[in-house]
Amino acid sequence: MSKKILVVDDDPNIVDYLTSLFEDNGYTVNSASDAQKGLDLANDEPPDLITLDLEMPGDWGPRFYRKLTQIDTLKNIPVIVISGLSSNQYAIQKAAATLTKPFDKDELIKIVKDILME
Amino acid sequence: MFKNILLATSATKACDHAARVAFELAARFQSHVAVFHVLGVPSRGFSQMIVDVRTGESVPLDDDYKAWVTEEIKTYYENQIKSHKDTETNVAVGFPHREILRYARDNKTDLIVMGGSTEDPDLSGYKKIMAGTTLQRITKSAQCPVLIVNRPAASFWGGISSIVFGTDFSKASDVSFQYAKKIATSIDDAELHMFHSVDISSPHAGLSLSQEEIEDQLREARAKMRKRYVSQLKGFNNYSIDVWEGLPYVEIVKYAREKQADLIIMSHQARDVSPDKERLGSNMEQVIMRATCPVISINKHTSALNN
Repeated sequence: MSKKILVVDDDPNIVDYLTSLFEDNGYTVNSASDAQKGLDLANDEPPDLITLDLEMPGDWGPRFYRKLTQIDTLKNIPVIVISGLSSNQYAIQKAAATLTKPFDKDELIKIVKDILME
Repeated sequence: MFKNILLATSATKACDHAARVAFELAARFQSHVAVFHVLGVPSRGFSQMIVDVRTGESVPLDDDYKAWVTEEIKTYYENQIKSHKDTETNVAVGFPHREILRYARDNKTDLIVMGGSTEDPDLSGYKKIMAGTTLQRITKSAQCPVLIVNRPAASFWGGISSIVFGTDFSKASDVSFQYAKKIATSIDDAELHMFHSVDISSPHAGLSLSQEEIEDQLREARAKMRKRYVSQLKGFNNYSIDVWEGLPYVEIVKYAREKQADLIIMSHQARDVSPDKERLGSNMEQVIMRATCPVISINKHTSALNN
C-alpha cells in the first residue's frame, strides 16, 4: 500500500505541482488550503508525512504544527516545511526538513524517501 | 484588546517582521494602525538640514520632503495598507525614541510594535546580541506595552494563543501577569504558560548549591507561582506553571521554544534614571534578541494596564 502525504499550502499552483510530483512517485496525496482543513484531514486520514507552507490565511504553519503535536496520534508525523520566507529553517525547529521555494524536485523526493526510510 | 497599534518603523527590511506581526494583530483585533516613521535627526539645533535615517544623506527639511517620505512609507507598506484600511501614516523629525514615545503618549497607543536589529551581514558579533538604543529607550520608558519582533522567524505565527509569561516575582512582573492574563482570557483557545528560572548562572551558585538546595528553590518558586498567579486565574484552566534552573534568558528562550509559544510577556526592572541612559536588564534584552516569537516588554510606567 502506498504511503500517504498531506500537502498543506494555500497556493493552488504549489498544491497541484506537489500533488503531481508525489503521485508520479507512487504516493497517495491529500491536500488542504489552510491549517484548520489540514488538521481535520490529518485527523480523518493520518498521513505518513506532511509538507507544510508557513504563510497561510488564518493560522500559519508553526501554529498548525503546534496543534498537530498536541494530538497524541499525530504528534510524531514528520513535517517538511516548504516556504519562500527567509529564515524559514528557524520557524519549526522540530521539522524533519526545510526547503525554500523555488526548490529542486529531485531534492524533495530524496528527502521524502529518506524520511519515509524507503 | 489592542485598539491602537503604533508600528514604529524605519520602513526598511529590518522592520518587515514587525510590520507583519503588527498588521496580523490589527486584522485579528480590528485595531487602528499608525505607521510611524522618524525620518531624520536635525543635524544641529534648529537647523533645517536633517540626516535621513533611510538614506544617510543630509537633506534640507521642508514640507515637500516630508510629504515625499510619507508617500514612500505608504508605498513600502502598500499591500498591508490595502488590506487593512484602518491605517494612517505619519512621519516626524527628531530623535527616534523621543518622537515615538511622544506620539504614543499623545495618541493613546496601547501597543507599540518595533523591529529589532538590522539584518546587516556586516554587523559585529557585539551588535548581533545587543538591542539598539532606540529600542532600549522605548521599552524602558513607554507607558504602554512594547512588542518587539527581532528575528524573522518570530513573525511566522499568524496570531497569538500560546503565551509564555516569564516572571522574576517582582512588582513589575505582577503588572506583566495582569497583561498576560488579560490577553489569555480574551482569546478563545489561549494557553498561558507561566515560567520562572532559578538563576544558577553564577559560578558560585552553580558550584556551591547542592542539588537538594536547587530543588528546594524550584519547589518554593512553584508554590509562589501558585499563590501569586494561579490564585488569580479563576475560571481559566488552560495554564501551566514551570520552574527550571539555569541561566534565566537561556531557560526562557528554551521554554518558549518547547511550548511553541507565539508570544512571550516579561517585565524589566527600570530605575529612576534618565531614559537616555538606561539600559534594559540583560535577561530582557537577550530574550528579545533570541526568541523565536514576539516579545512584549512591560515596564513600571505601564499604568494603562490597570484601566
